[in-house]
Amino acid sequence: MPVVLTVDPRSGVPIYLQVIEQVKRSVALGVLASGEQLPTVKQLALDLTINPNTVAKAYRELERDGVIETAPGRGSFVRSNGSIETTKTAATDVARDAIDAAVREAKSIGLHAEDIRTLASAAIDRWFREDA
Amino acid sequence: MLDLARATSGSVLYDGLPLVPETLERIAYVPERSVLYDWMTVAEHIEMQRRAYRKFNLKRAHELLAQFGIDLRKKARALSKGMRTATMVALAIARETDILILDEPTSGLDPINQRHVLNLIINESARGATVIFSSHQIGQVERAAERIAVIDRGRLALEGDVDDLKADRKIVEAILPSENFALNGIAGDPHISRLDRNGRVVRALTSSDAAEVLARFEALGASGLRIVDLNLEDIFLYAVSPSDATADVVEGQ
Repeated sequence: MPVVLTVDPRSGVPIYLQVIEQVKRSVALGVLASGEQLPTVKQLALDLTINPNTVAKAYRELERDGVIETAPGRGSFVRSNGSIETTKTAATDVARDAIDAAVREAKSIGLHAEDIRTLASAAIDRWFREDA
Repeated sequence: MLDLARATSGSVLYDGLPLVPETLERIAYVPERSVLYDWMTVAEHIEMQRRAYRKFNLKRAHELLAQFGIDLRKKARALSKGMRTATMVALAIARETDILILDEPTSGLDPINQRHVLNLIINESARGATVIFSSHQIGQVERAAERIAVIDRGRLALEGDVDDLKADRKIVEAILPSENFALNGIAGDPHISRLDRNGRVVRALTSSDAAEVLARFEALGASGLRIVDLNLEDIFLYAVSPSDATADVVEGQ
């Protein structure tokens, strides 16, 4: 199955976290459908040229977060039962991290909570214009 | 481990027991400098290994050497430095040992073959072997290694799980209210292993709790607070560069 994951090993973000984030994002976007099989630990390690234990660690955390499930001897799959929940959780995780980083940055350059709230609602209005 | 040097500290155990000659059958070692015999062909080296090691996998050796495009009829002296490295790596992997020790296993190789060697290392690791490799190329270490040890002038400068190091070591950057602002007690903070100050900008290296350090700077009235991720090269450079006297310089007015 063509799973499009890429990692940047030179980044300061641990590789296993990059794998987790990308799998969650792929699930949220539907690129990885529910029930779909993920590459084996060895295959993904070779595809990305990263340590197999790093991949195994990412898979373990994804399993703990309820995004994937592992059937012994068969491999890892995107969780199929409650897949809408899984997708929503994955999407929320990805979005929360992005918003968190943006607010931290805004705060660090001296904006107050009210300024940030105004910016956030302006951004929401801009991106949801058609829905209004 | 291979009895090439005497330990200054610690001891070498294999499965909890001291090394015996039979243990060496389960360890493959590729030194940085070629140990191939110049006058022997690659095929003759294969034959020599096959006779020396009971577990030597002949088919795998041929497969690996073909992947590197090595002509078995060539004498070792006719191989480039990179192809000698590749030959030694291929012969070592074909022994299917529990432990592989590779000293600069990509030296002299072009980027494609370097990547191939990394994937062979990953493959060995996935099969359950322990691979210990040394490299001056941090990018390779960052990809293939789970745990690292940084040796600086013969001294262990840093050791740990690559992902843990990246998760724990951060720079907390802050802008102080004034140039001669006193950082009361911050330099002594156990979370901070190094402080660099340049005018109003201060950068603290933390190895445990970046959020806590950030909160301390915030409490002092600092602005522009930011947590900066460090890659392995940054972590390496911080580990080997002297953190001399930062504390007393910083605390002064």
